[in-house]
Amino acid sequence: MSAIQPTPEQLEAFLTRDMTQPIAMLNLLKFKDKATYPEGTPEAGENLSGMEAYMRYGAGLPPIFETIGARLLYNGPVQSFMIGEGDYDAAALVRYPSREAFLSMTASEAYQAIHHHRDAGLAHQLLIETLPMD
Amino acid sequence: MPAFQPTADQFRAFRDDPHDGPVAQVNLLKFKDMAIYQQGEPEHGDGSTGFKAYLRYAEAFEKMMEDVDGKCVFKAPAERFFIGDGDWDMVWINHFPDRKAFIATLNHPNYKDAARHREAGLLHQDLVVTRPDDLGVST
Repeated sequence: MSAIQPTPEQLEAFLTRDMTQPIAMLNLLKFKDKATYPEGTPEAGENLSGMEAYMRYGAGLPPIFETIGARLLYNGPVQSFMIGEGDYDAAALVRYPSREAFLSMTASEAYQAIHHHRDAGLAHQLLIETLPMD
Repeated sequence: MPAFQPTADQFRAFRDDPHDGPVAQVNLLKFKDMAIYQQGEPEHGDGSTGFKAYLRYAEAFEKMMEDVDGKCVFKAPAERFFIGDGDWDMVWINHFPDRKAFIATLNHPNYKDAARHREAGLLHQDLVVTRPDDLGVST
């Protein structure tokens, strides 16, 4: 089952770990057909797809990544499931220098300023925390 | 639902996809607790975990894919789900210049011997075919 946000339990589990440890987060993303910007916002009349809205969120991430030392390791649209089943539109993998860096990103003003594009475009996702071996 | 192999339809869809460019294969992997090698295999009874057996496969696979300019983009143990839920032990992403290169790796003369370790170690997986954007693929 995918979701939009971590549950309180997931957040708590994350916070109990070693905050200095590097992590890489694999996103499997499913977009809304149509973006859902709240009425009255500048984008509401633009008739964007969910993917276009999410791409605006994505376009705002590189400077934030640079600030915290995160790196986009991979991203690409999903073509199909060759083994197993699922329904996702895109995959993206980001390496963070520490759990703390990941948290500080989500709390930053720069991140909050682009987050409405994620809300408008994302239907649901998986976010899998991995431990990079490099 | 994860599985062990592509269905015939899934394999055909991959083979016949008109997309001609690079693909990156995102493996989401769940291992058996303990490897199950068949009697007569040299590793039978050696006490390997499923993880360890699968890493033998991964190492051999990465060597074979060099012949077709495939390369590992990422391989790391999965810790937990931060959003959504599921149960995976490892994420492994491999980049191929095209779909033929991936299929050629499965047809490599050494594949069958390597696949023993996959059989022994893997419980099930998802294999997600993606199209790498130029951005972000570390070369």
